[in-house]
Amino acid sequence: MGDKVKALWRKTSWAWSPESERESSEAIVKNFWLHWFPAKVSRASMDWNYSFWLGTASAALLLILTITGVMLMFFYVPSTERAYGSIKDLEYAVSFGRLLRNQHRWAAEGMVAVVYIHMARVFLTGAYRGTRAINWVVGVILFLSTLFLSFTGYLLPWDQLAFWAITVGTSIAKQAPVVGPTIQFLLLGGHEIGQQTLLRFYVLHVFFLPVFVWVLFAYHMWRVRKDGGLAAIERVRNERAMVPKATPKTKSYSLFGITPGTSVQVMSSTGLEESDQVFSSPNMSRRIALVFLVVFNLTLLAALLFNAPLEGLANPSVTPNPAKAPWYFVWLQELVASTTVRMGGFTVSGALLGGILLPGFLLGVLTLWPWLDRSPLRTEGRWLAPERRRQNATFAVATLVIILLIMVGVYLRGPYWRIYWPGQARPEMPRLY
Amino acid sequence: MADRNESFEANDFGWLVAMSILFFVLVAVGFWREFSTGWGSYQREFPELLGHYGKTEEARNFRPGIRQIWIPKIGVTDRCITCHLGYEWSSVLPGTIAEPLKPHPMNDLLAKHEFARFGCTPCHGGDGSATTVAGAHQGGKGWDDPMLSRALAARNGITMNEMIQMRCNFCHRHDAATPGMEEINLAKQLFKKKKCVVCHVVEGRGGASGAELTYEGDRSPELLNFAHVHGDRTMFNWNVQHLTQASVVSPGTQMPDFNFQPDESRALTLLLLSWRRLSYPPEYVPDPEVAAAAMQPSPASTVSPAPIATPIAR
Repeated sequence: MGDKVKALWRKTSWAWSPESERESSEAIVKNFWLHWFPAKVSRASMDWNYSFWLGTASAALLLILTITGVMLMFFYVPSTERAYGSIKDLEYAVSFGRLLRNQHRWAAEGMVAVVYIHMARVFLTGAYRGTRAINWVVGVILFLSTLFLSFTGYLLPWDQLAFWAITVGTSIAKQAPVVGPTIQFLLLGGHEIGQQTLLRFYVLHVFFLPVFVWVLFAYHMWRVRKDGGLAAIERVRNERAMVPKATPKTKSYSLFGITPGTSVQVMSSTGLEESDQVFSSPNMSRRIALVFLVVFNLTLLAALLFNAPLEGLANPSVTPNPAKAPWYFVWLQELVASTTVRMGGFTVSGALLGGILLPGFLLGVLTLWPWLDRSPLRTEGRWLAPERRRQNATFAVATLVIILLIMVGVYLRGPYWRIYWPGQARPEMPRLY
Repeated sequence: MADRNESFEANDFGWLVAMSILFFVLVAVGFWREFSTGWGSYQREFPELLGHYGKTEEARNFRPGIRQIWIPKIGVTDRCITCHLGYEWSSVLPGTIAEPLKPHPMNDLLAKHEFARFGCTPCHGGDGSATTVAGAHQGGKGWDDPMLSRALAARNGITMNEMIQMRCNFCHRHDAATPGMEEINLAKQLFKKKKCVVCHVVEGRGGASGAELTYEGDRSPELLNFAHVHGDRTMFNWNVQHLTQASVVSPGTQMPDFNFQPDESRALTLLLLSWRRLSYPPEYVPDPEVAAAAMQPSPASTVSPAPIATPIAR
């Protein structure tokens, strides 16, 4: 029965069936959609526990964001007078508008998280050695672009949350030495957030940044292939090099006739064997379809369960108490607040130290890490290699501290930027009537 | 080789099927949510109600869907009538019908302020764009202009009618007195009598020793000091107590204690809160002289049968 169904499926959906493995691999290379991937892929790269398919999940999120984003563009008006109203329309009057906006919102926040976790995976597996270092730098730029994409999108609803989060964010950027005020001026299109800012953020958000990220993503993928696939195969190669192979049955000839012992090739063979690989199609294409489907389902589930935040209309004269940056920048706000020192009437702003110098230092070290990592090459493509224990621990601690600061900023900070523990009453903010 | 491929297929194919099923379930839930709206049930109920009161033709022609009064020039998109379907049927439906299908009571005020020209929220407040009860009546987080309800008015010690007069004054700001706006009329009298402009700037005129009051209604409640205010932490309550005994609410202030009667300080508070930065087009702003003339008792008052203006007798 199963065979008959399969045969019927083949008959109705395929005009041609490959006669050999060569033909089937050529069929893939000649197909526009399938030629993205090599004909074969290593089993090590297919392993769930190596990559957790986080890069694929990021790509899935990018695709979801592009599609939902284009749909949102049919309704959104980037004008300070109509932006908020158009979001209200999406929420209340457009068919599936709320679901669409929710999915876009949660996919965007998810992408920031997933891209970071993907980067953490690459770091903890030491997968940035040799020529892969270039792709590491590309990845860091992609992560920053993701943050900036999310940040530019944050302003678009033009509600109080958006307005003041961007106020906090751009005020931190202003503290950069020398270029800070210029950066802020260019971002805002003036000295305060207004129509120009909204238009700039909109154009960046719907055109320049997505195009940039898609192009860089394509390059990222191309580099993965040119680097020979995921770094997981380096582990296989290294292990293989250390295990002597059975003596080949062919004879070895030297200038003086048959030589005793094994041939030179036996120990130096580090290539992947036939048995290490599987055909990309259907194995990898099926897996990618699965990851995309999982990610789509998760974002749809989040969209059904949780509503994207929308507060009152942006009001430049009323600051919410407290005003918070978007969650992925809240740790910077937390650093700025905690490095601000007050002595008598003087206030030394922490914006330069906490908002610029410290994150700038972290980012610089992160970008250059492939060249700073002096651990042996055999650690490449291995999870938590003992030789890299110290750097992995440092990375993990830095990440945990940032997560902790984000948690404090998002959950504990209340009115007047004070800490309120769970269960502790927060002061009731005065109302109009 | 082939059996090695099978191992991925065996695992992944099952998951693929499971995830596909989940996908269809989630999409189905999405559709169900989209079509099980709160207003849907009212819209099924309403044609039956119309039919019951003899409007079979209208009942038959009733088409379900979101309804709105859209007046771009005053920024009104009021979808209130998606649920409040009976609003303009006061000639047919009795006023005893429960909300939200209850008709809007018809009176002279409404005859002068037609639904099609004003919508709902300019008088009632709330978020007109919303199609959920909570969203429309309370607005979401950070929405500081909730719908004026009897409960909200009672919490502030006034009636809803009195509270709505604050919103009347958005347009009637420059009337010396307006028929039907007793509270605001009283406040305007007091404002003049107590010479508030000696210390406060209003619309560019007045003394500078007090705070400017031109847009007093737009001030953030968070900027006020509630340390010496008893009761609700609302801007309304702050103003009521501050107007009566400024020295208690703001120690060290130059403002004298006027010791107003409670109704007087509430009226003045309504006046202050009505002063907001609004932009109504000129055709919406009434001529102050017309209103003043309407306040004068004259033999021509027989034109309007029911006296909508009660003379200020305080």
